[in-house]
Amino acid sequence: MNQDRFQIITPNDLDDYRDRAGEIAEASWPEFMMHDPIANENWHELFDRFSDYQFALLDTESNRMAAMGNSLPFQWDKELSDLPEGGWDWVFIKAVEDHKNSIKPNIQSAIQIAIHPDYQGQALSTKMVQAMRAIGESKGFKYLVAPVRPNEKSKYPLISIDDYITWKTNDGLPFDAWLRVHARMGAKIIKPCHEAMTIRGTRAEWEEWMGMKFLQSGKYVIPRALNPIKMNMEKDEGVYVEPNVWMVHEIR
Amino acid sequence: MDTDRFQVIAPLIRADYRDLVRGLTKIAWPEFMLHDQVASELWHELLDRFPEYQLALYDTENKRVAAMGNSFPLRWEDSLENLPEDGWDWVFVKAVKDHKQGLSSNYHCAIQAVIHPEYRGHGLSARIIEAVRAVSKAKDLQALIIPVRPSEKSKYPLTSIDDYITWKNEEELPFDAWIRVHVRLGGKIIKTCHESKTIRGTRAEWEEWTGLKFPQSGEYVLADALVPIEMNVERDEGIYIEPNVWMVHKTR
Repeated sequence: MNQDRFQIITPNDLDDYRDRAGEIAEASWPEFMMHDPIANENWHELFDRFSDYQFALLDTESNRMAAMGNSLPFQWDKELSDLPEGGWDWVFIKAVEDHKNSIKPNIQSAIQIAIHPDYQGQALSTKMVQAMRAIGESKGFKYLVAPVRPNEKSKYPLISIDDYITWKTNDGLPFDAWLRVHARMGAKIIKPCHEAMTIRGTRAEWEEWMGMKFLQSGKYVIPRALNPIKMNMEKDEGVYVEPNVWMVHEIR
Repeated sequence: MDTDRFQVIAPLIRADYRDLVRGLTKIAWPEFMLHDQVASELWHELLDRFPEYQLALYDTENKRVAAMGNSFPLRWEDSLENLPEDGWDWVFVKAVKDHKQGLSSNYHCAIQAVIHPEYRGHGLSARIIEAVRAVSKAKDLQALIIPVRPSEKSKYPLTSIDDYITWKNEEELPFDAWIRVHVRLGGKIIKTCHESKTIRGTRAEWEEWTGLKFPQSGEYVLADALVPIEMNVERDEGIYIEPNVWMVHKTR
């Protein structure tokens, strides 16, 4: 595939940018991942407050959106190793709060890179990370951090995230494909964040999202989830707590 | 689907039976299930010792086999509640031994009912069970016992088999489709057998069978497996112990 065929665009370049981006999200995420309340409540803030940090890759041949990237700036004065367990959910809220309070940001965080399934396996992920880093660079930030979702862990839901991130390929690179994309570009693993996203639903909601039945309390393995979910029948609540991995790119 | 189109065939009435059923097991099972040691060593005994107990449903329109049922007779003097924990593996060895010793049989046991993937969802499971049951009657055996594989449990690998068999659907029938087929035909659950099949392999073998990697010791969830496997990297051995459900169809 000719790489020049893909052009980086920003939300102002297309009237229907958000609709098209929404289609990519729907095509690339399992249903239950669309029910993180922090994402749902705050998603519009990306465009309202941080539009410079949103971009997409347009396939100029077919005029389709092939991938999208979302990031945001926030303020962080502590060590990177002190980044919180709440990872994704935490950083989204932090950035919005900082912006509301006019606190000057000094660091960039990735929120999402999604490649449309039709375009996966073509190294667009690297191109997307590069584009995201370029935004941080243009803003004068030193670091791009990312609560990375190690997608392939969904095949290993009983392995702890702390063990999983130590797994290597024969080349000594991270076993997980997404961690590997970042590592190949020079990013380092800071540490796992065990509660990067928390998704709650009633039993009926989880049954609808999953096409499964939950007939008793307990842990359940669900397709495409990185950990089992915990179903509590008495409380009529299932909880999924997703672990991610804090990684850092030194931009300059 | 017109059910008259399917004809029950057996090795003694079709000289090409062996050729017709060849490959069906491979298509119908996940790869790791083809590495049960007892099955691998004894499979040939089915046709060598018990040809009258091997059946298939032949699709007269497309001239191929749509389903297969494998069974054999055995001697069992104790009560059915005392059938052993190692269900499937045990009963196969027992039947061969009984036959070698010339013991007269009083029970009939089915060890496999498979439907070709292209013929699933057409009620052939009930037809093949009825065909197998007709053999119990013809041979004047007092009951058909079966270590049933509740295949839908593979979606619930963390739920214990003892809990799983209590699950009901909205009609108050067993939740699991295979258990339900038997119950609809008058079969009863006797009890669970927790070590019905034991499959052992080296780490490299399990990696080949499943396409997964096992970099460390621990429990792993596999597609189509009813419970997780236990991988021991130091001993270079992975063990899968499959639970089944002893069920019985009384002949009279």
